[in-house]
Amino acid sequence: MSDFRGSAKIAALRAKVAAIETGGRADVGVLSLGDSGIDGRLPGGGLPLGRWHEIVSPGLETETAAAPAAFAALMSSPLAKTGEAVWVLRRDDLWAPGLAGLGFPPERLIQVCARDEAEALSVMEDALATVGVACVFGEIEAVNLTAGRRLQLACEKRGATGFVIKRRPYGGTAKVEAAGSVAATRWRVASAPSEPPAGEFGLGAPRFRVDLERCRGGRGGSWILEADQAYSWEADDVAHPLRLVADLGDRELAPAQLDDRRAA
Amino acid sequence: MRQVRRLAAVSREAATLGLYVGQKATDAMALTPELQTAEAEPGADAEALMALVDWCVRYSPAVAADAPDGLFLDISGVDHLWGGEAELMADFRARLAANGLAFRLAIADTPGAAWALAHYGRDGTIAPPGGQAELLKPLPPSALRLDPEAAAQIARLGLRRLEQILGIPRAPFGRRFGAGTLERMDQALGRSAEALRFRRPPTPWMARLAFFEPISAPEDMERVTTDVTAKLCARLEAEGHGARRFEIAFHRVDGKALPLAVGLSLAGRDAKRIARLFQPKLETVDPGFGIECVTICAYEVEPVSGRQVRIEAGLAPSVEDGLAPLVDRLVNRLGPERVWRAAPVESHVPELAVGREAALGAPESEARAWDRETPRPVRLFRQPEPLEDVTSLLPDEPPRRFRWRGRLHDVARAEGPERIGDEWWKREIGDVSVLDVRDYYRVEDAAGARFWVFRAGLYSDPEAPPKWWLHGLFA
Repeated sequence: MSDFRGSAKIAALRAKVAAIETGGRADVGVLSLGDSGIDGRLPGGGLPLGRWHEIVSPGLETETAAAPAAFAALMSSPLAKTGEAVWVLRRDDLWAPGLAGLGFPPERLIQVCARDEAEALSVMEDALATVGVACVFGEIEAVNLTAGRRLQLACEKRGATGFVIKRRPYGGTAKVEAAGSVAATRWRVASAPSEPPAGEFGLGAPRFRVDLERCRGGRGGSWILEADQAYSWEADDVAHPLRLVADLGDRELAPAQLDDRRAA
Repeated sequence: MRQVRRLAAVSREAATLGLYVGQKATDAMALTPELQTAEAEPGADAEALMALVDWCVRYSPAVAADAPDGLFLDISGVDHLWGGEAELMADFRARLAANGLAFRLAIADTPGAAWALAHYGRDGTIAPPGGQAELLKPLPPSALRLDPEAAAQIARLGLRRLEQILGIPRAPFGRRFGAGTLERMDQALGRSAEALRFRRPPTPWMARLAFFEPISAPEDMERVTTDVTAKLCARLEAEGHGARRFEIAFHRVDGKALPLAVGLSLAGRDAKRIARLFQPKLETVDPGFGIECVTICAYEVEPVSGRQVRIEAGLAPSVEDGLAPLVDRLVNRLGPERVWRAAPVESHVPELAVGREAALGAPESEARAWDRETPRPVRLFRQPEPLEDVTSLLPDEPPRRFRWRGRLHDVARAEGPERIGDEWWKREIGDVSVLDVRDYYRVEDAAGARFWVFRAGLYSDPEAPPKWWLHGLFA
């Protein structure tokens, strides 16, 4: 069975399917998250660039969105160093010293405070289609199918990567979520209890419980990740700010076999 | 004290009957019983003069009012748009006459000579360049705008025409009649410059389009915006300059001018980009009965080097290509206070530690970057939120439990306190108090959420324990 799996025909077929999925455009590349277990679940071995991704947060964080913002900043700090980053806010409570402590370069960040949802989406589109912008973060309540496709087209123009952080900054009831989504990946991020180093008191490095809920061309999973270099002067020098602490499995049958097939 | 009513202005017919400015009104009415009088309104006159000055911007942006009833218009470099000074004057005359104003015009090299010719010379004189001395000769000395003592002295000496004065050598002239008179003569003859206070800062970078018929349709206004911007930018490009601020004015048939302004973060001259920045603002312009002329001026002009268009995609894109147009679009659409970069400010008070600077073109700041080793939250609330039901065992201990936005949180881990006091050196010594401190704690609850809470003040009074607040959220 193993040579059937490794045969050239299967590889060619897989490449064809991938080309159809991307619509025939050249791939911009992938951003490795530092751990082969996570990279194996994502198509191409890392977070696909040139697309936009969704990050949601459960519970209380729907309004404040601190953990998703930090996770997005950590995941994309190697990317932000290659160009400019634009953060579109509805409520200007993003604090730059916090981002600096996590390793995200605040001198490359331009913040824009939009007045309403439609304006925030249009600013995101505009920024994604600009030469020189590497990543764009937007705090949006809901992205319907049309808006999602427009974001995708804007990303494809220049190969920029978008991150939509779902946030309802002014409270209120949640709108009915659209059934489908055009995002390349969808993450659910929450804070996880930290572990200080042995023998020390206080808080440890920030930890996140991350669920990859949906991924085009890949498979989901759940992990606990830690930003172990946060709040140190080496924070912005590391290649992978997030470190895997625990793999929580994805509740599918026979995960090991499926892993082999996709990891090729 | 009783005020005497005097005539402020007389019409031509009244002047022929022997009435003059400054005459007592009672005398005038006694002389001519059929005299019609109206109250003089100097305030309204001044406003009307300002409105006329604004109207004249369609001819040249360098207009200065000359109270109470005149104005200077600097037409250097714009007369070619009408095909010559005589045509410009004829057009000006026709429009002013159509508005029902009585006026006298003159064109000369210097403001002083033009004033003299307009007030005392023949109406409609155009002095040849450098030849105003000839035309000034038959005029009386008061045509030089002298102060009253000098004018009285000259009159006492029997000098009634300027040609008697123009020949006097300068040193004895200045000694006899004063430096002010000498300066006015020099200004009139062009030997020294005169500074006028223009209504708008004068700029030589101006382009203008006039229409045969007044336009009012939106697509026409868009098209003329593009055309006039292209005209100005072509000139800027030919001279190797770019500008940071463009102001376009639509002149309506009824005389009102509607200005719109656009700013760029880096000096530029790309006509398409600038016209596109004007597009969203065009809707606010009300054409009224029609727009008959549109002018555009460029301010803050500086030399800008041209650049070759890049073909290679591998090189890093320059700022002018992508980021500057994006920032300009956002700033012009949302306003400059909504697009910013965070800049470090040297202050340990959290809400003051972050300053805002312009996204592009901001000067380098001397402040030290933020300290990375002390953990700081990702989200900071503008107003700290109050916490209720805070229980902590000892004065210096972090809270064990607190309630925020109605939910109870049990603290599992905590760090702190970090004492941040007020900036006492920035206030009066009497206002400073030792109790104005905040003890910040970094706490983590059982679910893993991390908060930045502080206790405002110290435990000094058991009856009124200090309050706890939540200032920010960590990752």
